Amino acid sequence: MGAERFDVIVIGAGHAGVEAARAAARMGCRVGLCTLSGATVAHMPCNPAIGGTAKGHLVREIDALGGLMGEAIDATGIQFKLLNRSRGPAVRSPRAQADKRQYGGWVAQALRRQERITWIFARVARVTVRGDRITGVELETASGTPGGERLHAGAVVVTTGTFLNGLVHIGQKRTPAGRAGEPPSRHLAESLKALGLPWGRLKTGTPPRLNRHSIDFSRFEEASGDERPVPFSFLTTRIDRRQIVCHQLHTTERVHDIVRANIGLSPLYNGQIEGIGPRYCPSLEDKVMRFPHHERHHVFLEPEGLDVDEVYVNGYSMSLPPDVQEALVQALPGLGDAVLMRPGYAVEYDFVQPTALTRTYETKGVAGLFLAGQVNGTSGYEEAAGQGIVAGINAARAVAGEEPFVLRRDEAYLGVLADDLTTRGCLEPYRMFTSRAEYRLLLRIDNADLRLTERGRAVGLVEEGRWRRFEERRARYETNVRRVSGTTVTLADGTRTRAALGLRRPDTGLAELVRGNALELSVAAGEEDADLWSVETHFKYAGYLERQQATIERARRMEDRRIPVGFSYEGLPGLSREVAERLTDVRPETLGQALRVPGVTPAAVALIGAKVSA
Amino acid sequence: MFATDDTIVAIATPPGPGGIGIVRVSGARASDVAAAILSRRLSLEPRLATLTDALDPTDQRPIDRVLATYFPGPRSYTGEDVVEISGHGSPVILRQIVVAATAAGARLAEPGEFTFRAFLRGRIDLVQAEAIHDLVTAVTPRQARVAFDQLEGTATVAMGAIDRALFDLVARLEASLDFPEEGYHFVDAKAAGVEAATLAEEVRRLVAASRTGRLVREGCQVAVAGKPNVGKSCFFNELCGVQRTIVADEAGTTRDLVTETIDLGGIPVTLVDTAGIRATGDAVEAEGVRRARGAVDVAAAVVVVLDRSRPLDEDDCALLEATVGRARLVVANKRDLPAAWCPAEHPETAACPHVVETCLIDGSSTGAIRDALLGVLLGEAPSRDTPAVSNIRHIGLLGTAGAALERAAAAAGAGSSEELVLADLAEARHAFEEISGKRAPDAVLERIFERFCIGK
Repeated sequence: MGAERFDVIVIGAGHAGVEAARAAARMGCRVGLCTLSGATVAHMPCNPAIGGTAKGHLVREIDALGGLMGEAIDATGIQFKLLNRSRGPAVRSPRAQADKRQYGGWVAQALRRQERITWIFARVARVTVRGDRITGVELETASGTPGGERLHAGAVVVTTGTFLNGLVHIGQKRTPAGRAGEPPSRHLAESLKALGLPWGRLKTGTPPRLNRHSIDFSRFEEASGDERPVPFSFLTTRIDRRQIVCHQLHTTERVHDIVRANIGLSPLYNGQIEGIGPRYCPSLEDKVMRFPHHERHHVFLEPEGLDVDEVYVNGYSMSLPPDVQEALVQALPGLGDAVLMRPGYAVEYDFVQPTALTRTYETKGVAGLFLAGQVNGTSGYEEAAGQGIVAGINAARAVAGEEPFVLRRDEAYLGVLADDLTTRGCLEPYRMFTSRAEYRLLLRIDNADLRLTERGRAVGLVEEGRWRRFEERRARYETNVRRVSGTTVTLADGTRTRAALGLRRPDTGLAELVRGNALELSVAAGEEDADLWSVETHFKYAGYLERQQATIERARRMEDRRIPVGFSYEGLPGLSREVAERLTDVRPETLGQALRVPGVTPAAVALIGAKVSA
Repeated sequence: MFATDDTIVAIATPPGPGGIGIVRVSGARASDVAAAILSRRLSLEPRLATLTDALDPTDQRPIDRVLATYFPGPRSYTGEDVVEISGHGSPVILRQIVVAATAAGARLAEPGEFTFRAFLRGRIDLVQAEAIHDLVTAVTPRQARVAFDQLEGTATVAMGAIDRALFDLVARLEASLDFPEEGYHFVDAKAAGVEAATLAEEVRRLVAASRTGRLVREGCQVAVAGKPNVGKSCFFNELCGVQRTIVADEAGTTRDLVTETIDLGGIPVTLVDTAGIRATGDAVEAEGVRRARGAVDVAAAVVVVLDRSRPLDEDDCALLEATVGRARLVVANKRDLPAAWCPAEHPETAACPHVVETCLIDGSSTGAIRDALLGVLLGEAPSRDTPAVSNIRHIGLLGTAGAALERAAAAAGAGSSEELVLADLAEARHAFEEISGKRAPDAVLERIFERFCIGK
């Protein structure tokens, strides 16, 4: 029987996989999407929320390129909040809680509507390779052994999350699983290891879920979202869906005592877990043991959906035995009668050191093999989706023999993400923060479309409707920038000045300038805020961005100087063996990247640069 | 940043006073830089030494009479376009030429960078490149950081303290942006502005104190000026303890600049005994007088020697007026003879803060003039055990950091939000890390996670 042929096969339908599959299919590829179950598409096994500082930026960028995530959360979010609203526009970031069932359903529906995607409900046993080029995948048989059906593809995108040799810990009980209740991928892990990719082991965790009917919410402080939700997607003008409230409470000394008394039962503290967990998302055990002087920690009760019984206990991730977890939940003031629907757990999993990848997420050793998402050592749905869309675009371009699609650090958080991962690798699960972006003032949510939609259009991901809207919005933006530049205004204190300069004052906003002066701006109905926001920021930041421009240009010169594939660092005079080995492992693509490889001095990069141009 | 496409400058001869010192400019813009700081308006002939003046580009004041030679690449030391400027060996003069070149667009070279460029362009071979090996591999930015943290010394400690306080401030302010919902009150923009202002003040103090440090490290030049035959050479010999200049009663004996370096309280001081400043018909002496005026102009301090036994004349008064506002020691010599005027009462000298009455022929004034001169050199600078930055590169970076801190403080004071305050603080932090070694890219996050219990 002739094997089925695809252009691109995507393994996994989590947040990375769905973006990769949709992007490649939209760009014209025949895509095979392998997943274990149609019920866990774009699943949220941990916190059912999208966005947050810097992560909200990633979602806007994914949307600007034509991805799914922004529209999906706008359609299914149940509490929206713009973080850092009182701070400057560069660090404002949207966050929303999702109705997790609706979210997964919406994404699955969008993929079903997308032409050229074939669903393959099976477990992949291995990737197949000829020479240094991918040829496709081999599925497991019905009995879970290798040797099942073979599928051919020009490119394969692996987005297996925590499934590679996943091991779930609850107290002393260890269960091989990618997520609670779902068996791990062992054969695939072996097949990838056989390719010589460098591996590490990480850990993450999730809190217990409570039954909402066992909780008297009137006892807790309410935590509400914004009255007028700010959407994630540039295609969404308003969100009218019913919004929920969450509730906030705090841990007590009694809770801390229980943790301390049972710490020997925690896999995190009895040596059972080797993988490294994220410090920005500590377990309850870590909070109590590492910060003993803290009298209390925040805990949030967050419904997992509008009509879902499960309540997520945010801030209460743990891997203690179920009876201790129950005692810890019931020790929280007001939760004496709470019923656990399922316990929290820790999961350890294998990940590939992403230094083995280029910024397109293609492995350096095997042409056509791409890896995206948590398998690369990241954490977070947004980081996964961001890698997924870039990997999907590049898989499609590789199949078509086109140039790689790479975003630079001064173009997008997506560029920062790819560059950080591929030059430095991961020592702990990688999460995006605004402080990772040295050009933060440039990479804002209000200009994500101005930065990226044209790029998305060029690769064929931005469809006609989005493109027309964008062109209109960009025209308004450019008109408004021109009008503000050419106008002199009277400020609140009576000073006459050029509007462009007046806006640099922290206390002067564009809206009030428009009110008090003959300054007419072009805005679209329903998008007034967004239109004003990006123009105002353009001028507010102008002084800072001008100062930053020289740095950016200088860095760009380094980024533009490519190091040839296969460049030999061995025997390059002046380089220590250690640095030469490190560079040989990482194989930076440009001089700029080489400079960011740990241990490499500017002098070493100058040396490489001289050799490269010689 | 270790760019290899810009133009660099540094003193190429070993530190310390010598007969001749060379300032080397290398890079694509070397001849532009040279054109901006040399009085010769025509471009330099390749490989031909040209006598010209080095000028301060800010006010066109001559710094020194120099020989400038242009070596077009690739036939030059570094393989790039190079201009070598040979001046008189005083570190003070050479440093002024370097500062002039940086004002004209050159960057101060890192240690070893000329050799490094020579290596990059194949001008030196592997054996010579042994030193390059050390340069490339010895110090990663993190190792530099570790080394810096272990260094003793008041200046290092003071810079380290500011650097750490700044880093901590950046970490708290970054935390307030990246973790707005943790229930922590890290620091608000206004309070951060106040802290930035304090740090700016500390940086200013360090830079002010740096004068002492520079004096100790590089020494300075002191011009001894005065009419002929008032005792300048005696003053000179008194301090040097050696009979170097011809001392005679005939006016106009000293016709050329005579220099000698002495240790004055730990500061290497190069004394320049100038020819008597007076109108003269003698061509050789006229040249001496011209040089004397030049030496007076560039010196860190001037000693004006006057004859107390004769009334002050026009030449004396002209010299006193020409040096008003300079670091200056007025020596009223010939105390052993009957006084024709009194320094404390004479209108030309009554206001001078540093005056000493001497007898320079019997050795009785040695201690007094040493102390008085030291007082002039240290001026209002703090006493010697305060932290002092002595490296010209560090002083430049501190200046950058101080300006950025002041901008941050001003922005915060005006109500700008955190990310803008942080943009300036980041610039200050980078300047400090140029001095103290870079931190790892994740250092800010590391600090935040270590100090605060982040994460719901």
